[in-house]
Amino acid sequence: MFDSVEAFYRPASVHEALRLLQRGKGQTRVVAGGTDLVVEGDRSIRFLIDITHAGLTYIKRKATGLAIGATTTMAELEESALLGGLAGGLLARAAASCGSIQIRNMATLGGNMSNGSPAADMAVPLVALDAKVVIAGPRGRRTMPLTAYLAEPAEMRRRSLLVEVAIPEPPRDKRAGWSFQKFGRTALDIAVVSVAAGIGFGPRGRVKWARLALGAVAPAPLRIAAAEQALVGRVMDRAVMAEACAAVERAVHPITDVRATAEYRTELSRVLSGRALEECAGQAGWAL
Amino acid sequence: MKAPVLKTMEVRLTVNGQPQVWTIAPGDLLLDVLRREGYFGVKRGCENGECGACTILLNDKPVNTCLMFAAQVEGCGIVTVEGLADGAKLHPVQEAFLDHGAVQCGFCTPGMVLSAKALLDKCPHPTEEQVREALGGHLCRCTGYRKPVEAVLAAAKKAKRPRAAKPAEVTR
Amino acid sequence: MSGMRTVVGKNVHRVDGVKLVTGGAAFTDDIHLPGMLYGKILPSPHAHARIRHIDTRKAKALPGVHALLTYQDVPRVPHTTAGQAWPEPSPYDTYLLDSKVRFVGDRVAAVAAESRAIAERAIRLIEVDYEVLPAVFEIEQAMAPGAPVIHDEPDSTKIFDREHNIAGYILREIGDVEAGFRESDLIVEREFRTGRQQHCMLEPHVSIAWLDVNQRLVIRSSTQVPYHCRRQVAMILEMPVSRVHVIKPRIGGGFGGKQEMLLEDITGALAVASGRPVKIEYTREEEFYMARSRHPQILRMKMGVKRDGTVIASQLTVLATTGAYGSHSTTVQGNTGSKVLPLYRAPHMRFECHVVYTNCPVAGAFRGYGCPQGFFAQETLVDEIARELGIDPVEFHQRNVIRLGDIDRLSAQLGEGKEGLPRVIRSCGLPQTIERGAAAIGWDRRRKPAANGNGCRRGMGMACAMQGSGIAGIDWASAFLKINEDGSFFLQVGASDVGAGADTVLSQIAAETLGVTLDKIVITSGDTDTTPFDVGAYASSTTIISGGAVKKAAEKVRAQVLEVASRMLDAPAETLACANNEIFTTCACRKSVTMTQVAMQALYREKTQIMDGASHFNTDSPPPFCTTFAEVEVDTHTGRVRVLHLATAADPGTAINPMQAEGQVEGAVTQGLGYALTEELVLDSAGRPLNPNFLDYKIFSAKDMPKLTTILVETEEPLGPYGAKSISEVPINGVAPAIANAIFDAVGVRMRKLPIRPEDVLRALGAKQNGGEQ
Repeated sequence: MFDSVEAFYRPASVHEALRLLQRGKGQTRVVAGGTDLVVEGDRSIRFLIDITHAGLTYIKRKATGLAIGATTTMAELEESALLGGLAGGLLARAAASCGSIQIRNMATLGGNMSNGSPAADMAVPLVALDAKVVIAGPRGRRTMPLTAYLAEPAEMRRRSLLVEVAIPEPPRDKRAGWSFQKFGRTALDIAVVSVAAGIGFGPRGRVKWARLALGAVAPAPLRIAAAEQALVGRVMDRAVMAEACAAVERAVHPITDVRATAEYRTELSRVLSGRALEECAGQAGWAL
Repeated sequence: MKAPVLKTMEVRLTVNGQPQVWTIAPGDLLLDVLRREGYFGVKRGCENGECGACTILLNDKPVNTCLMFAAQVEGCGIVTVEGLADGAKLHPVQEAFLDHGAVQCGFCTPGMVLSAKALLDKCPHPTEEQVREALGGHLCRCTGYRKPVEAVLAAAKKAKRPRAAKPAEVTR
Repeated sequence: MSGMRTVVGKNVHRVDGVKLVTGGAAFTDDIHLPGMLYGKILPSPHAHARIRHIDTRKAKALPGVHALLTYQDVPRVPHTTAGQAWPEPSPYDTYLLDSKVRFVGDRVAAVAAESRAIAERAIRLIEVDYEVLPAVFEIEQAMAPGAPVIHDEPDSTKIFDREHNIAGYILREIGDVEAGFRESDLIVEREFRTGRQQHCMLEPHVSIAWLDVNQRLVIRSSTQVPYHCRRQVAMILEMPVSRVHVIKPRIGGGFGGKQEMLLEDITGALAVASGRPVKIEYTREEEFYMARSRHPQILRMKMGVKRDGTVIASQLTVLATTGAYGSHSTTVQGNTGSKVLPLYRAPHMRFECHVVYTNCPVAGAFRGYGCPQGFFAQETLVDEIARELGIDPVEFHQRNVIRLGDIDRLSAQLGEGKEGLPRVIRSCGLPQTIERGAAAIGWDRRRKPAANGNGCRRGMGMACAMQGSGIAGIDWASAFLKINEDGSFFLQVGASDVGAGADTVLSQIAAETLGVTLDKIVITSGDTDTTPFDVGAYASSTTIISGGAVKKAAEKVRAQVLEVASRMLDAPAETLACANNEIFTTCACRKSVTMTQVAMQALYREKTQIMDGASHFNTDSPPPFCTTFAEVEVDTHTGRVRVLHLATAADPGTAINPMQAEGQVEGAVTQGLGYALTEELVLDSAGRPLNPNFLDYKIFSAKDMPKLTTILVETEEPLGPYGAKSISEVPINGVAPAIANAIFDAVGVRMRKLPIRPEDVLRALGAKQNGGEQ
């Protein structure tokens, strides 16, 4: 299948990887786990750069939050105690839903992001957490919001090297809850709709802050600002929740494909958002 | 430092405990190379990472070889189903699969057996849910998964009590 | 002796088990042949087109290409690809390569090259000028006047009405249904639709062909029907049957998808053209739309009953599509009538069916063979009727289902493709399967609890089903046995173990009959040179028909053994018994010789090879029976149906290997779950497949499975070896209706279209809430 590949490189540093990427121009691809690249089956690839030996596998605590190296696998994310302690383990839960064990042992966070699928399981909670990505280029490293990175065209993403995902520490509140909901046709499926939510409560159920992001309902994971605004500052009850879910329904613009119709995805967005908000409330100890 | 442009390259690795040197094309997929090297227990089922029939253990972790480049396993240790039995003595998971009727056409069996072994090595007393998770990436169209799950649980239980008697009705 | 069986009825290990768990090189692709080429088929991108011109020059010039075939290079021999006994009832409407293509994926050309990459590149270099023709994808449109004629070629035969794209037509009636309906107190008529399910066997279709040193064409192939393949390839390539040798190694699943001569002809043609071994292995994508699938059907079922629930008349009208070619077209649909309606003892039955060509992927044999469609309609309708009458569905079934001693007269009219033979029910565990299945699911405790907090409701449903065991008067098999010095026997059978364990079951039957232990039987199967004829693995025939042949052959060989032993023991043969590798006198003085001693005596002293063979067929097809119970939980906010528990009670006759029989039930049920809830090959408006991969065509994984209960209700069938019937197909039939009935029990909506997707349930719930028609 990949019979045009002339060389397979394993650079030992980001610097060397970048140099190889520059040299090869358009027919060079970076490979980490390979779980998306190989499936894509692009016969025109001439050079492959395996970046799993460039020191990009790590999960570190930084002053402002967590930093995850791009070649960290889904399995490593799932099992990480550090990640388990962030946002109620939201990211660890999302990683656990990223396909089978075999896939999770190879698929990397960087790969999941750079592939840019609208249903990418990790992108949805990361967008809810205001994650940023660190891109290494010929002129050094730059940081940008994940949402901006995902909005770039695929070619542009391929020419740069995503090296790190940085997650700012969410507000520390005793009464906070997080939820990840994924609806697939079977247990191992691409999301028909997915939801990542987080709510911080003040005293007496007043919502201090709210995060709500959905996947597979737009070209990229969607933060539903209107729903978040409908919640912040109000006491969460079923009526307020319904308002927020209605805002979700208005905000999403899914497509019809072989997995589901747009109509059903829209309905599911409303229902799953409601369930996510309920779970957040439950975790935070706020009875609805 | 100039990287040479090659049409073939060498990969050094260990397969089932034996050091190997493979000559491959840089774009060769691991599944194709393994079968070319005679490891027929690694199966081609979908080439999309969906069915798990191509599973091997890479540094003790189950992975789909259809989605990997052979060059990626440089310096690694891999285990295929051919490496499980010790001569005529089957691995406990293999025994259990036979005892419990968990093998029908046998095409998905090597992959399942390897994932089960990886599970039991890491987690000697798994719950049924954990076994289903371990086998989750192995599509089987013959068994309905019930007997494979039972076989893995039985192998775990037997390891707890090594001298437990075999079920009376089983004959060879 | 029947109570003293030593091998039959035991959960012995599979005789090929060690090879399979250690990854032994057992499957078609597990060999390296020097000089082997990779074959690849160029599929049509159009659903309906004529090939005006093919330019193969660039492709042929590509280094590494050794053969390239188009319709101009091969003989034009009309045939069917269906693996059926000659004369096949399916239309002869297929050609090795043709100048017309009739579905997206149809063969345009084929190439053999030194590597897979070169072959893939070569087919992309073939330039084809198509005259695109209007295509038709819907059954009713295909039959309508003015529809494009898919098979307008004059040399195809056995097509019922080619002008209207009708591949086959069936009409059968017993009694007078109109009179029956007039007598009825309640009549219910409903329409049902079923989808295009794909086999998804883990090993794709693969064939390797080469000319051996005697210039005979050897074909090593993953096939359920080696003998039919041999005959068909010989006919298509215009060579004598004796010049073709088909070998069936281990098969990674078939389920009917390999009851077809799918790749053997083209691989053979490429091998002859190139003079080298050629392998074609379908990719998973090709498997989804270039192989076979289950016939989609539109079923209109009408039943008339008395107020007390007695079924008086049942009528089933079916519109089915066979896709672009008529493989198994009348026989699958024939089953939809003949094996479904007679489940109830109605004096009046009518079955009418049109099987229609469309420019869609080709349908063929698939486990259940027309019955899953029919039982979905019938058992869902019966549930509705029972509830309407206020009768518990369990009781309704017990009252009305076919019984021991009954004669099924509809089968007399609906043989597979021709006049059949009446079925006499000589063994019937159906009532017990209903009872025990009901107990297992907890039928008595089915009170609907109020919906819980997040809108989930539970319900239970049931369905009964039957099938056949072999095709009466048509399926047949033969077996051959010969003794070896060590008291072992080589058992040679044409039967095709597709993974279900036929080799083991047949070995058990041989061992039991000969009085030897299982390890003394060495079986070879599915080789047209070295094993005698067998129609192949389909119609649930292997245990009863191939097993019947094995038993007969073993009885003849046993007689020869006893003859030799009687001389050695100086005792009449009638006074001797065989057991545990020994032959002994049954009198008090108990003299004995071992089987090994008998072998040595025969081979070296008497100079005679103890050996014999036998052929066998039945003139009836004893049905296995099955009752399925499902408990589901419906999420009324998302429409998701979660199956909590699926209990299957089945009557296989005697279970030669109970553990294997259970495995067959569990596998069938799992395919039934997919058929009911998730599986459908979807085509776009140009007839192209939208989900030809496991990512988008969902089959159940270990994480999706409900709790399964499997109950074997054994009976003794006089026509089967040691009382056996069959088990491999029947359990798939009741799953979809049991689930549909359970959904109704839970939330009051009738789902009449398969698969039942969450959004279908949600839509039905919404319609119900709005007082809509459902």
